[in-house]
Amino acid sequence: MPSNWPQSDTAGGGAAAPRPWWLGGLVIALGCVCLYGAFSLPQAARYAGVGPGLFVTLVGSGLVLLGLLLLMQIAHGEKFVPQDTEDASGSDKADMTAFLTALAAAIVPVLTIEALGVPFTAMLSFTLVARAFGSRKTVIDVITGAILGSLAWLLFTQLGLQIGSFLPLAGI
Amino acid sequence: METFSLLLQGFEVALQPINLFWALVGSVLGTAIGILPGIGPALTIALLLPVTISVAPTSAFIMFAGVLYGAMYGGSTTSILINTPGEAGSMMTALEGNKMARAGRGASALATAAIGSFVAGTIATLALTFAAPAIAEIAFYFRPADYFALTVLAFTSMAVVMGASRVRGFISLFLGLALGLIGIDQMTGQARLTFGVPGLFDGMELAVVLVSLFAVGEILYVASRYRKNSSEIIPIRGQIWMSREDWKRSWKPWLRGASLGFPIGALPGGGSEIPTMLSYTLERKLTKHPEEFGKGAIEGVAGPEAANNAAAAGILIPLLTLGLPTSATAAVLLAAFQNYGLQPGPFLFSSNPQLVWGLIASLYVGNAMLLVLNLPLVGIWVRLLSIPAPQLYGGILVFATIGIWGVANSLVDVIAMVIIGVAGYVMRVYDFPIAPVLIGLILGPMAEQQLRTALAAGQGNPIMLVSTPLSVIFLAIAALFLLAPLLLRRLRANA
Repeated sequence: MPSNWPQSDTAGGGAAAPRPWWLGGLVIALGCVCLYGAFSLPQAARYAGVGPGLFVTLVGSGLVLLGLLLLMQIAHGEKFVPQDTEDASGSDKADMTAFLTALAAAIVPVLTIEALGVPFTAMLSFTLVARAFGSRKTVIDVITGAILGSLAWLLFTQLGLQIGSFLPLAGI
Repeated sequence: METFSLLLQGFEVALQPINLFWALVGSVLGTAIGILPGIGPALTIALLLPVTISVAPTSAFIMFAGVLYGAMYGGSTTSILINTPGEAGSMMTALEGNKMARAGRGASALATAAIGSFVAGTIATLALTFAAPAIAEIAFYFRPADYFALTVLAFTSMAVVMGASRVRGFISLFLGLALGLIGIDQMTGQARLTFGVPGLFDGMELAVVLVSLFAVGEILYVASRYRKNSSEIIPIRGQIWMSREDWKRSWKPWLRGASLGFPIGALPGGGSEIPTMLSYTLERKLTKHPEEFGKGAIEGVAGPEAANNAAAAGILIPLLTLGLPTSATAAVLLAAFQNYGLQPGPFLFSSNPQLVWGLIASLYVGNAMLLVLNLPLVGIWVRLLSIPAPQLYGGILVFATIGIWGVANSLVDVIAMVIIGVAGYVMRVYDFPIAPVLIGLILGPMAEQQLRTALAAGQGNPIMLVSTPLSVIFLAIAALFLLAPLLLRRLRANA
């Protein structure tokens, strides 16, 4: 992820940055990753004329081409208007603290779900999201998150879904 | 006649107590998520996918159909009572419906929306009952080249119609196609785009991508631009549901809305936005009370609501008969079929008549159930809106995480959730449509397989791709989709 994007976002003051060159660059880079992956695959197979690499090459080339088109549009001053949704207005200025708090909530499971299990992870994620949305009743959120996580764990385990033990680290 | 007896058998399946129970669960859940912000039918079905482990396929699809229809009913309630359309299809309803509610006619608006949804849903289900087997018959004759051309048509129409810009629509589509390529190639067994990560050998699950884009992406976006909804719920206590005059002014828009919604919903890229807008425009033109439009005209609620529900039934046509999803919700339904090892398409009608006809019959049952659930109980439903946003979105992330972790207990999936979630945020900020990613992901492998089978039949000669009349027609329409906006612009410039 290019380092300048959150800043450009905030600097735009609601509307996205006027010239997000990095966006076109990112699409081209993703296309190149596909082409690099296709490089090691056979493009043609004897029986079919089409090997497992051809489609990858096509998709990679498509992304590179589209990235270039996007860059051209950006050069011509293409406007990017943030979407309006039910609880958010695209024209509002982005609150990066709230964004990063919510992002932390999404990253928590990567660090904890294997060792500490679903209920504990749910408790942390729930509290962080609630905070990102302006809740300051942290103790109540921690308790609500723990109850919700435990109930959800119980429900899904009863349904036959494998989601690990209650608190793996403690062996429960 | 055969259709009738098959439908009757379908009712035997749908009316079994266990299936009625699942239809009720689906309808209740659907209505609830239609009312709640931040969660739509596609995400709900994706989160419910784990139940496919323990529930029989027929029951699961009956529940999913309830979610799909229920979300439409729920969406209209919030549009009318607090002017927040939960999804694109309810935007037109909010326009007139909320004005009606403000003028003390909220109950009439809710009633015409619910009864109109019921009428249109039933008409569309009738159309589905008769059209689906006929289309499935035709699809029997499809060759790989035809299927490939059809997927190209679906891709093009989806990328062009959805979103503000064609380039961004296609970028979304190609991102989905690229994600669909990750994993072991089905035809040769070679690993592709896995870069040595064993967790990627099984490929990217649609549920993981969908939940990340719709739940995590949405939470990040709304958190960064959260605006507390201050709109009050307009009370409707003591009002009459529908007067004689209301009935008189509603029935024609219901029928017109249904006839617009169903065929457009069945087209790739048709969705519910276009038919509801067309229906609104049409009713505005035909009305005897043009002065009321913009101030709360009942026709402006009746028509679009009917069109919205009919379009929801329309998406089932290409899905059931051709295995072709035309919206995010249809894509996740296709994933559910695949979970059971079933492939929707013409063969499903002969190999699994119980499931197909049970599902179609349950749409009639679900519609009736939703009418009963929604009108008298509307007061209970709107109470859901009192769940505060911080806790609501917190809960959505908890269920999203469990949904993703439950797919395969894989940390790679959880890492993908963060990366794709951030991508979902960026897509919302820079206005990229999201549905094409899912269509590319689920249809990409299908398109590739048909391409390779078609080419193998002709020893690699690309002329095979245009060797049948149907494939030529599909590809020509796809080209038209791509070029029409350019041509129109040229014509306008010359005019």
